[in-house]
Amino acid sequence: MSDFRQSQNEAHPNKTSTLMTGIIVLQILFVTIQIWFLFGALNNALQENLNFAITAALGSITFAFASFWLLRYLPDAVKRRKK
Amino acid sequence: MSKDSNAEIPKWKQDFPIEQKEATHVSRREFAKFLTLLSGALAVGSTAIVVKSIAFPEQPLVGEHPVCKESDVPEGESFMFEIEGSKTIPYLLINLGNDEWRAFEQKCTHLSCAVKYRHDLGQIECPCHKGYFNPRTGDVIQGPPPRPLPQLEVVIRDGQVIVKAQNA
Repeated sequence: MSDFRQSQNEAHPNKTSTLMTGIIVLQILFVTIQIWFLFGALNNALQENLNFAITAALGSITFAFASFWLLRYLPDAVKRRKK
Repeated sequence: MSKDSNAEIPKWKQDFPIEQKEATHVSRREFAKFLTLLSGALAVGSTAIVVKSIAFPEQPLVGEHPVCKESDVPEGESFMFEIEGSKTIPYLLINLGNDEWRAFEQKCTHLSCAVKYRHDLGQIECPCHKGYFNPRTGDVIQGPPPRPLPQLEVVIRDGQVIVKAQNA
């Protein structure tokens, strides 16, 4: 007899894959923005513009926390179906 | 069907079966975790820049530094020297003529290439990416450098060329 979870999974077989792709795309976006921040902070630190460096660091930390928070929604690995 | 496909798989593979679907899912999970780790590392890097700027600020140049004799640098020529401080910085002394002397940091503000004075052009040139600076003010005239060259004040005293920080 099938339960709710099994019927859901059978009705939407790509759900896990879509979720995974969404998480990875978001994380790539976060990392790209962080690289941009780091580049800007390096350039501005050289010019002794500390305020920009502080703002960029805070933004970067926020994105890092967002990346860690996204891991909450990481789907479990597909387990071999019991025979 | 399974019997047929099992017959084609060599025995060593049958002993260590790997389900491809399972393997790819694990790899994407690992990729997501790697991206998170990278994200954390970038945040640490950005924070390190701030900590370094606050905890170890660059020491401004103090005092006067004799460079060379006035007669050592003919008109239209330049002279390279270094000043030891919290770090050793190379500078370029330029005799523009008419008793006009300038001293700039020799590192291009683009990618730290060594700049040189071109008297025929009347400009300071960075040969790496063709950046040009004004030899009087250090301002960028052309090219990729984002900032003007840091400048020192030059004083001539008893035929001796002396440099000091501009606002000192």
